[in-house]
Amino acid sequence: MSSRMFQSVIMQMKEASNRLIGVIDGEGNVIAASEPSGLGDRWEDAAHRLNSANEMVTVTGGKTFKALTNWSARFDYAVFVDGEDDLAKSLCIMACVALNGAKTNYEEKHDRATFVKNIITDNILPGDIYIHAKELHFVTDVPRAVFLIRQVDKVDVAAMDVLQNMFAEKQQDFVISVNETDIVLVRQVQPGSDGKELQSVAKAIEETLKSELFIKTVIGIGTVANHIRELADSYKEAQTAIEVGKVFDTEKSVINYENLGLGRLIYQLPTTLCEIFLSEVFKKNSIDSLDQETLYTINKFFENNLNVSETSRKLFVHRNTLVYRLEKIKKITGLDLREFDHAIIFKVALMVKKYLDSREGPVRLG
Amino acid sequence: MSSVTMKHIYKKYAGGVIAVTDFNLDVEDKEFIILVGPSGCGKSTTLRMIAGLEEISEGELYIDGKLCNDVPPKERDIAMVFQNYALYPHMTVYENMSFGLKLRKTPKDEIKRRVEEAAQILEIEHLLDRKPAALSGGQRQRVALGRAIVRNPKVFLLDEPLSNLDAKLRTQMRSELTKLHKRLDTTFIYVTHDQTEAMTMGSRIVVMKDGIMQQVSTPQDLYQNPVNLFVATFIGSPSMNKLEGSKLTEKDGHTYITFGNENENATVQLPDEIGRKPAVLEHIGKEVVLGIRPEHIHDEDIYLKNYPEYKFTATVDNVEPLGAQTNLFLLIGDQQATAVVDPTTTAKMGDRIEVTFEADRVHLFDPETEKCIDL
Ligand SMILES: Nc1ncnc2c1ncn2[C@@H]1O[C@H](COP(=O)(O)OP(=O)(O)O)[C@@H](O)[C@H]1O
Ligand SMILES: [Mg+2]
Repeated sequence: MSSRMFQSVIMQMKEASNRLIGVIDGEGNVIAASEPSGLGDRWEDAAHRLNSANEMVTVTGGKTFKALTNWSARFDYAVFVDGEDDLAKSLCIMACVALNGAKTNYEEKHDRATFVKNIITDNILPGDIYIHAKELHFVTDVPRAVFLIRQVDKVDVAAMDVLQNMFAEKQQDFVISVNETDIVLVRQVQPGSDGKELQSVAKAIEETLKSELFIKTVIGIGTVANHIRELADSYKEAQTAIEVGKVFDTEKSVINYENLGLGRLIYQLPTTLCEIFLSEVFKKNSIDSLDQETLYTINKFFENNLNVSETSRKLFVHRNTLVYRLEKIKKITGLDLREFDHAIIFKVALMVKKYLDSREGPVRLG
Repeated sequence: MSSVTMKHIYKKYAGGVIAVTDFNLDVEDKEFIILVGPSGCGKSTTLRMIAGLEEISEGELYIDGKLCNDVPPKERDIAMVFQNYALYPHMTVYENMSFGLKLRKTPKDEIKRRVEEAAQILEIEHLLDRKPAALSGGQRQRVALGRAIVRNPKVFLLDEPLSNLDAKLRTQMRSELTKLHKRLDTTFIYVTHDQTEAMTMGSRIVVMKDGIMQQVSTPQDLYQNPVNLFVATFIGSPSMNKLEGSKLTEKDGHTYITFGNENENATVQLPDEIGRKPAVLEHIGKEVVLGIRPEHIHDEDIYLKNYPEYKFTATVDNVEPLGAQTNLFLLIGDQQATAVVDPTTTAKMGDRIEVTFEADRVHLFDPETEKCIDL
C-alpha cells in the first residue's frame, strides 16, 4: 500500500485545518503526516491500544486515533489527530472517512491494473480471467484499445506519471509499465471507434510526452478488443505494428496494426521464400546494382502513381531524363515500371528486400 | 538574448530520404519567424532538429551563439507546442500548468510564481481552480500555452498548434498568439502549412518545398517579389494565375506579351520598368509564364477606363459570389485565370466580358527554371 497515496490526502486536509493529522501503520509507524517532522516515528503503545480498543475513537498520549476499515481483527492503518478534544475527535472521524475511500479506490485500481497486466502478458489462465473479472467488478465485454508506447533514443521514468495523469479515468483507463522502455495503455473506447480516433489519441500521447519530457516515442495500436480475452491478442498486434513499422514505415511514429497492409503480409513470410522470390525477380543481383538515386527516383515514381510528368516535376528533372532513367532500370532489371504488373512486382520486391535487410543486414543474391 | 542560427543543415534519414537540404537561417532575438510549406516539405524535421529531438546529419546549430548540435533537448532552454495537446483531465488549470515543473523538481514557491505570472500574461488567473472540462476551447488552448510559458524558455517552437481548431477559434488564436509573442518578448519559431496563417502572423517567413528553402522574407515582400513560381503560387489566396506559353516580343523599343492560345489571345505592352529589364530582354522571342494575381484582374468600369491598354476579352467559366468579393473563373483561349472582383459585378456564366489588369504588378517566370525573371 502506498504511503504516498495517504500523504497526498493528508496534504489536502492540511489546507482545511492546522491540526497535525497523520496515518500510522499496524506497527505504529508514522507513514504520513501533515508536518514532515513526525514522519518515521514509531508509536507501539498507540498501536497496542488501538488493537484492543472497541470505542469509536481511541485517545492516548495527547492524540486521537481511529482505525481504517479492514477485514481483519487487527487494524492495518489508523488515522491520528493532535489533541484530545471534541474537534480532534470530529476531525479524526472525518479524515477516516476520506482515507477509507481513498484506500478502497487505490486497492481496486491497483488490483485491476495488475489484473490487466496479467491478461495482456498471458500471465493468467483463461478460466481465471472470468473469476477475477467478477471479483474486481471488471466489465468484460466493452470495447478497449491497446496502445503500446515505446520510448526511443532516451528513456524517462516520468513518462509513466505523464500518461497516468493523461488517462486518469480509474474505471476505464489502465496505464501499465511493462519494461524499461514500454508502457501500455488499455483504454475503454466508444463502440464503433475508428482508426482515426485511436490515431488522435496516440498523437496526443506522442506530442504531450515530447513537450513535457522531450522524449520521442513510437506507438503501436492493436485491433480494438471487444472482450477482455482479446486484450492479449491486441497487445501482440500493437507489438507487431511497431516491429513491422520499423521495417516498412520508418517515417511514421504511430502505427496501427490495421493499416500495415502489404507489410504485415510480407513480415510473416519465411525468409527463404523471400530470397527465392527476389532472385527470381532480379536475376544476377540486379537490384543491388541500382544506386540510391535510382531507388529514390523509383519511389517518387510510385508515390506519383506512375505518372511521368508529375514525377519529373517533383524531381526537378526533365521528362526525358526520367524516361531515360526508367529505360535504364528496365535494361538492368527487365522490369518496365510504367507497366502496372511490373510496377507491382517491383514494389513488392523492394518491400521484401527491406524486410530481408532488416532481418540480417544486406543480403547478397547470386 | 535568444537567437537561433542554422548553418548548412541537412537531415538525411536512413533509406535515402533527404528531408532537409542546406538550411541556412538566422533567427534574431525576439523574432516571430514562420516556416511554411506544403505537407512533407521538412518543416517539422527542421523544428525537431532545433529542439534536439532529431539528430542533425550535417551542419551547425547555434542557440545564443552556442553550438548546440550535441546538447540534449532539456538543456536547450526551449519549449515545444503542438496541435494535439492534451490537458490532464482531473487536474486544475493551476496543476496542469505546474505539472511539468513538478516533474523537473522545481521548488514549490518558484512554481507558484511562474504559474501566476503565466496566468496573468494569458489572462486566465480567474480559471486557475477550474478543471479542463469546464473550459472553452480557447481557454484550453491558453492553458496548453501556459504549460510552455512556465518553463521560461529562450525559444518557443510551435508545430502547427492551431491546425485542429475550427475556423473561428483559429482566427481568434492567431491574434492571441501574436499578442502573446509581444508580451513575452522572446523568440518564436512557428511552423504551419497554411499560408494565410503565415502571412497574418509572422514578421518573417521561410517558404520551404521538398526540404529546400525557397525564400526568406517579410510577408509583404514575398507577396510582391516572389523569387520563383512556387513561392508566387503558394503565397496569396486565391493563387496567382499562371498563364503558361505566353510569348515575349519586341517592337519600337518596348516589350509586348501575348497570352491565350492560337484561336484566342491578347497582346499587351508591358510597362517598361518590367519589360526592359535585362533579364526579361534575354527572353524576347521565347516562352515565359505570365503570373497575375487574381486581385489584380478587374472588370470594374473604373479600371477599364484607367487601364485601357491592358484590356482583353475573356469567357466567364464560373462565378463564385463570396459576399465581400466575387471570384470570376475566366477562360482566355484555353488558359484559366481567376479574377477577384467587386461583388456588384454583373458577369454571368458564359458571358464574354472585357477585363483589364494592373500590368505593373505582373511577374514573368522562366518555364524551365521556374525562376522569376523580372526581379
Ligand atoms: N523518421 C523518418 N524516417 C524517414 N523519413 C522521414 C522521417 N520523418 C520524416 N520523414 C520524411 O521527411 C520528409 C519531411 O517530413 P516532415 O518534416 O514531417 O514534413 P512537414 O512537417 O513539412 O510536413 C517527408 O518526406 C517525410 O516522409
Ligand atoms: Mg509537420
